[in-house]
Amino acid sequence: MEDVSLINNEYDTTQYIVINIGDEQYGIDIKYVDNIVRMQKITRVPNCQEYFKGVINLRGEVVPVMSFRMKVNLPETEITNKTRIIIIKLEPNAPVGIIVDAVREVVTLSENNVDEATKSSTSNDPSYINGIGKCGETLISLLDLNVVISDKETA
Amino acid sequence: MDVNQYLEIFLDETNEHLQSLSDQLMILENEPENEDTINEIFRAAHSLKGMAGTMGYKRMQALTHDMENVFSEIRNGKMKVTSQLVDVLFQTLDALEEYKNTIQETQDEGTNDNAAIIKALQKCLDEGTGAAPADSASEEPTKAAEKATKADGDNGDNSEKKWKNIKLQEHEINAIKEAEEKKMKIYGCTVFIQESCILKAARAFLVFKALEELGEIIISEPSTQDIEDEKFDFDFSLYVVSEEPYDKIEAAIMSVSEIEKVIGEKLEIEEVLESENEAKQAEAEPEPEKEQPAQEETKPAPAAAASPTPAAQSSGTAPAKKTQANKPVVNRTVRVDIEKLDVLMNLVSELIIAKNSIVSYSAAGQIGNNSNFNEQIEYLESVTTNLHESVMKVRMVPIESITTKFPRMIRDLSKKLNKKMELYMSGEDTELDRTVVDEIGDPLMHMLRNSADHGLESTEERVARGKNPVGSIFLDAYQDGNNVVIEVKDDGNGIDVEAVKKKAIDRGTITPEQGETMSSKEIIDLLFLPSFSTAKVVSDVSGRGVGLDVVKSKIEALGGDVSVKTKLGEGSTFSIRLPLTLAIIQALMVVVGEEKYAISLGSIDTIEDISEEEIKYVEAKEVINLRGNVIPLVRLHEVLGLEVSEEKKDRMIVVIVKKGDQYAGLVVDELIGQQEIVIKSLGKYINCTSRLISGATILGDGEVALIIDANCLI
Repeated sequence: MEDVSLINNEYDTTQYIVINIGDEQYGIDIKYVDNIVRMQKITRVPNCQEYFKGVINLRGEVVPVMSFRMKVNLPETEITNKTRIIIIKLEPNAPVGIIVDAVREVVTLSENNVDEATKSSTSNDPSYINGIGKCGETLISLLDLNVVISDKETA
Repeated sequence: MDVNQYLEIFLDETNEHLQSLSDQLMILENEPENEDTINEIFRAAHSLKGMAGTMGYKRMQALTHDMENVFSEIRNGKMKVTSQLVDVLFQTLDALEEYKNTIQETQDEGTNDNAAIIKALQKCLDEGTGAAPADSASEEPTKAAEKATKADGDNGDNSEKKWKNIKLQEHEINAIKEAEEKKMKIYGCTVFIQESCILKAARAFLVFKALEELGEIIISEPSTQDIEDEKFDFDFSLYVVSEEPYDKIEAAIMSVSEIEKVIGEKLEIEEVLESENEAKQAEAEPEPEKEQPAQEETKPAPAAAASPTPAAQSSGTAPAKKTQANKPVVNRTVRVDIEKLDVLMNLVSELIIAKNSIVSYSAAGQIGNNSNFNEQIEYLESVTTNLHESVMKVRMVPIESITTKFPRMIRDLSKKLNKKMELYMSGEDTELDRTVVDEIGDPLMHMLRNSADHGLESTEERVARGKNPVGSIFLDAYQDGNNVVIEVKDDGNGIDVEAVKKKAIDRGTITPEQGETMSSKEIIDLLFLPSFSTAKVVSDVSGRGVGLDVVKSKIEALGGDVSVKTKLGEGSTFSIRLPLTLAIIQALMVVVGEEKYAISLGSIDTIEDISEEEIKYVEAKEVINLRGNVIPLVRLHEVLGLEVSEEKKDRMIVVIVKKGDQYAGLVVDELIGQQEIVIKSLGKYINCTSRLISGATILGDGEVALIIDANCLI
């Protein structure tokens, strides 16, 4: 019986990249992550959505980059040498970069350790989170990338 | 083996045949007696039928068969070409096209029998031939019989009966004897494939397949394996045993397209064995003097040359028969998947970026002043530029590929709208990037329909106005610098500006006051707004107001623009201006604030040095008067959302851009220079609200620069 449950567990696990935004920790499903790069020169694009900082050159490809903080209405912070751009590919040939404060680690969560996101009416709109992962003592908000990247303002 | 692997060839060829049929029918309608055309049509219809049959598309075959019958009667002079007949034939083509599309999508021909069309064809046939038997004693059997008799009569001409050279092994002789006992008939045939045929092996395979349905192939020369590997010239020979009569065998073989002819006859078993002995004898005593004529044959026949038999004797008369009057010129082309070209194009783009980067390092003096190195860089530059040009050229296709269907469309419109009109085309060989050509077909069609429906007056009206009752529509394409211009012109009534204005006011698009102040050009531009049509009656040709706005947005998406010139009573001209290429352009690099931007060289007219005092104000907007032209100024700082520096400069650099005959002056801080840039998209998610930025490019130092679309600043 134990063996069976083990196999099941393995089957239902997902790996997440854990990122820091301020004190909070967010998880991004690793299968959508194409790359993680250091902060680099961003070319501003005039008249576009405010949360898009501009475009970068990623090995000959032009990739738009958004600020996660601006997207979820958090104040901007200084760029440190921990700041990273996570390159997400939800579809092939349509990469997009997300600026985060820092990248911590990769965790493996089984389905049992993931709770449904609570639809609370707190100040922070939770709609861009589709689950909460428990990893030991810490809680990780799992991002719904489709919502994060979509055009809608989460204000 | 499976016929599916030939599906692509089938589809390609069907396309070609259908297009050729359509073209020839157009000619035939004007010159009903043109014999060449009739023959050409007959050939195309016949090939089409054969192909459909081999691929097992029975309905398609039936339809082409009936069409072929009609042509056969015409060719034999029993029927006259009437306009009504041509209509039915065009319907037939449409139906065939439909089959083709269904096959393309589902690999199946669908279930539409097109009985109505078949009936119409039969009716034409009955009416046309009068008392002539309507039951279509098809061309084929007669032809086959004719051939058979010819073959019989040609007994002396054995050089083409190469099956006589096949050397039978013991077990094959046994197989023949066995078949004989079963009362099956034995046939020897030699199949000649047209020399223009590209996929000989495929054709041979189709022949084999067709024959295997009727009987059994005992042996072939060359062997099946060699035929599959295309190790044969343009003919191969077979022994077939079958219960069917010879006519049927020959018809089956001829149903495969690109087969030149079949020579064959029924053999008696003794004859087979006898010739076998003869061959053995011949082998035993080679006759060198007879090898000479064999080599003189136009078609090299290794089998015959290797073992000279009685076949070689009469070869002197054979070459004369092989007239190749209709042999099409073999295209020296290769079909390449467009995706492969895209990959190649991307690689060239990368190479140009890398080259630019070396150039910028060297210009910055970081590598030192080695003259040899600089020379090599210059060489590299010229090679990459040439490489880019060549790749672009490969991607260029003539717009012919889309214009060929237009004459037919205009003909149909002419009937439908009951207006007489004629389409004149020029410059069909103008070349454009493949991606552009694929996209402009629909817009052009819209514009032609527009001209036919809205532009041209009815025939009575034309007569009343003293114009030629037959309206003319012109489609002209030509290259103009880095652009290609396509014009659709008609000699109809032109655009009634007042009517447009009235309608716009009625619809609430503009207020009557606005209407008063608008120039006629501005009013005409209203036509390009969504849901705006001036035709009083909505026809199924046009008039629903989804036309010109679609044309405009599509052309603009391709980086081009549309403009209209019109004169009431004399006609109107719609011109489309398109860039030659989409991927790599020459651009002027400029600095605005701290940022670098690229402006396509194609839209730049001149660069001017303007002093502050030259700026005048018109309606509170800044303009300059440049050699008599009043040109509005656009401060790029403002439109790009940059902070304007406090210090005022006395002189400023103004890049004059033009779109058609409109100009604007863009104020920039600094010029960097001209550069070849690779256009990259900004990506899917980023939305530039004003469409000001048309893309981005990567500079030599790895920095990204944005490309300003000057057209939207005018």
